[in-house]
Amino acid sequence: MAAEISNDSPSDEILQGSEPGASRNSMLLATDSYDDLASYLSDTNLSSDRDRLSSGSISEITHPTETESFDPKSVISEEVGPEVVENEINEQLENSLDVSASPVDEPAALATSDSDTVTERIGLDTPTSQLSELSTDHSQPEACTGNNSDEQEEEVEYVHSQEWRQHRKHVFILSQSGKPIYSRHGDEDRLVTLMGVMQALVSVIGDGQDLLRCITAGSHKMVFLIRENLVLVAAARSIESMPQLLLQLTYVYNQVLSVLTLSQLSRIFKQRRNYDLRRLLTGAEKFFDNLLNTMDRDPCFFLGAVRCLPLESSMRDTIAQSIAQNAKVKDLVFAILIADNQLITLVRMKKYFLHPLDLHLIFNLVSASESFKAAESWTPICLPKFDSGGYLHAHISYMDEECRSCLLLLTVDRDVFFTLSECKEKIRERLVKYKCLAAIAESVDQNGYKTSQVGIPELRHFLYKSRSAAQFSCPEYEAPYHTADQRDRLFGLYQFLHHRIHSSSRPLKILFHVGSHETLLGWVTSGFELYAVFGPLVTKSAAINSVNKLLKWIKKEEDRFFILNSPTF
Amino acid sequence: MRSGDSYQVMLIGDSAVGKTCLLVRFKDNTFLSGSFISTVGIDFRNKVVNVDGTKVKLQIWDTAGQERFRSVTHAYYRDANALLLLYDVTNKASFDNIRAWLAEINEYAQDDVVIMLLGNKSDMTSERLVRREDGERLAKEYGTAFMETSAKTGLNVELAFMAIARDLKSRKSRRPNEPKFNVAEYVDQEKQKPSCCS
Repeated sequence: MAAEISNDSPSDEILQGSEPGASRNSMLLATDSYDDLASYLSDTNLSSDRDRLSSGSISEITHPTETESFDPKSVISEEVGPEVVENEINEQLENSLDVSASPVDEPAALATSDSDTVTERIGLDTPTSQLSELSTDHSQPEACTGNNSDEQEEEVEYVHSQEWRQHRKHVFILSQSGKPIYSRHGDEDRLVTLMGVMQALVSVIGDGQDLLRCITAGSHKMVFLIRENLVLVAAARSIESMPQLLLQLTYVYNQVLSVLTLSQLSRIFKQRRNYDLRRLLTGAEKFFDNLLNTMDRDPCFFLGAVRCLPLESSMRDTIAQSIAQNAKVKDLVFAILIADNQLITLVRMKKYFLHPLDLHLIFNLVSASESFKAAESWTPICLPKFDSGGYLHAHISYMDEECRSCLLLLTVDRDVFFTLSECKEKIRERLVKYKCLAAIAESVDQNGYKTSQVGIPELRHFLYKSRSAAQFSCPEYEAPYHTADQRDRLFGLYQFLHHRIHSSSRPLKILFHVGSHETLLGWVTSGFELYAVFGPLVTKSAAINSVNKLLKWIKKEEDRFFILNSPTF
Repeated sequence: MRSGDSYQVMLIGDSAVGKTCLLVRFKDNTFLSGSFISTVGIDFRNKVVNVDGTKVKLQIWDTAGQERFRSVTHAYYRDANALLLLYDVTNKASFDNIRAWLAEINEYAQDDVVIMLLGNKSDMTSERLVRREDGERLAKEYGTAFMETSAKTGLNVELAFMAIARDLKSRKSRRPNEPKFNVAEYVDQEKQKPSCCS
């Protein structure tokens, strides 16, 4: 029961630049996270020095004299408008998918002509023992050695256990040589054989100068992200599309880089191909777990946008000024204040921008770590979009006793802890003096805003993304979406809507979808993306009228929901 | 160096030996029970202690024990005046790694850094795998002070930090002809032995 309108827009299309949340001076890079997918999908050689849309370079900051020549780097990524990038992506996605001749929605989407046989063999009901034969067949002994038959049997049993199999989404990280590094569910040590199979599949198809991207088996999708040293695999039985799963794997990969840096990762595997990377990732499992759990409920990832804590713009300006004036430290690149996985303000060094993907990793670092609540911390963090080659050093501290708002000061200088500690104290004093912390606490406790405030009775929930600002806004999850189950279902609807609209084979501008429990309207222009959920009985024209009304309302509130200026030190 | 009587103390040792717990016991006199909260990077806390009527400020760096943070923490060794090196008496590997830690200290820390070796979790008698004598022998071999501690019961925790504060202070105020304060001897006199261990 889906009606699609591909090349038709509602009558009063909003001009780009005046849509709600339009930002001419964004502090975030407005390139969509799908750019990563595009470069991945269009990339057949696995070299690590493929062009990246990096927003900065640590050496540029530490050795400013050497840098004038390649300074345009950051400017380039700024100038590439979201539209251009998006079009390119779509083209590239299309091209790459044409090559593999397998649209995402169809079963058996596999990148090679061998697909049928391999798909048959990896069908989830195939016993693992058979699969391990497959892997030994193809000369990858190191992945399977060291297991006597008892252990293997135990493993097979484990993989067949109901408990392990019932998980909706598995995510695995393995090294190029097939060594297990991480498994979202279960002990990766007991999955050695399974990961050996994955490695074998990747390598067999790689031998034919091809890339394994996706296997569909019944209701399961298995998506592969192959990088220079790592293979990431998602096996999911869910509504998510192949590109959406691939994007999630990209986030997981970037989380690895955030912990280790690309240069360290490459160096390690160059020295020892079969290095057990778990040694270096001890204690980082919580970042992967938390990231994957958050990706199953927070739309910020597939939207490639950041949510801001609603605040009066005058209050937000005061906060930004308090930070900018008291953190005038050489080599301080970003100062970020966040609360409850939402951005309060971001002050940046002129010339440098943050990518939403990097900011998501920062949110993940903070929300996954309890230890920051107890003391001031000093932590190395690599922001892969900013510079995957090195660490920034983050001074991390909570501003209040209740640990609502967290301040991060990111620098390239590892010796300025005490300087930044003093800055932080001055900033905190200002924030107390001007009652900023109280305003933040109030906004956090209020839990955003309610859909009913918009004044459209049939509207149940919505996501609105300003593409130029790379920010999005959404109301609180109220009934009927207040339970975890219903919220998950709503999240699935949004993923479905997002995927249909961004489908590489058939991108849409507007999609009106009548489901059994609700009606969905998705609308994407060059300036914004809007996903709205209505009751099941709303008509198409009523929905479009409501959406226009909604846009006016967001426009009226845009100063509260979005950060439209871009403060610098 | 910072003015006044202010010293940098660093807690080092393998992951999960109880560095943060030891520090929280010393600073807030509480025990972090429940789930393991691993430190990310380096945490920083201040504590002012009183040594013979004068105030001594300890700036304490609590480091993450994981291998990937080693290269980061190395950079801070050189600023440390004292190092508390911990192992877990119920974890043999953490004790075996102490020699590697001492080698790192030798490489990166100042020559006159005060080192104290601590065998933590001494309250867990039934799970103990490292004998006290083993710790003592190792400490003797490297010439460091040694004691067993328990962040859970508080055994010797205060003493460990106070002994360091005392040593650092005495180094600073000592006149050339006065006898040198010996932290190892001081600790031997003052430390309590867990009553129930063999």
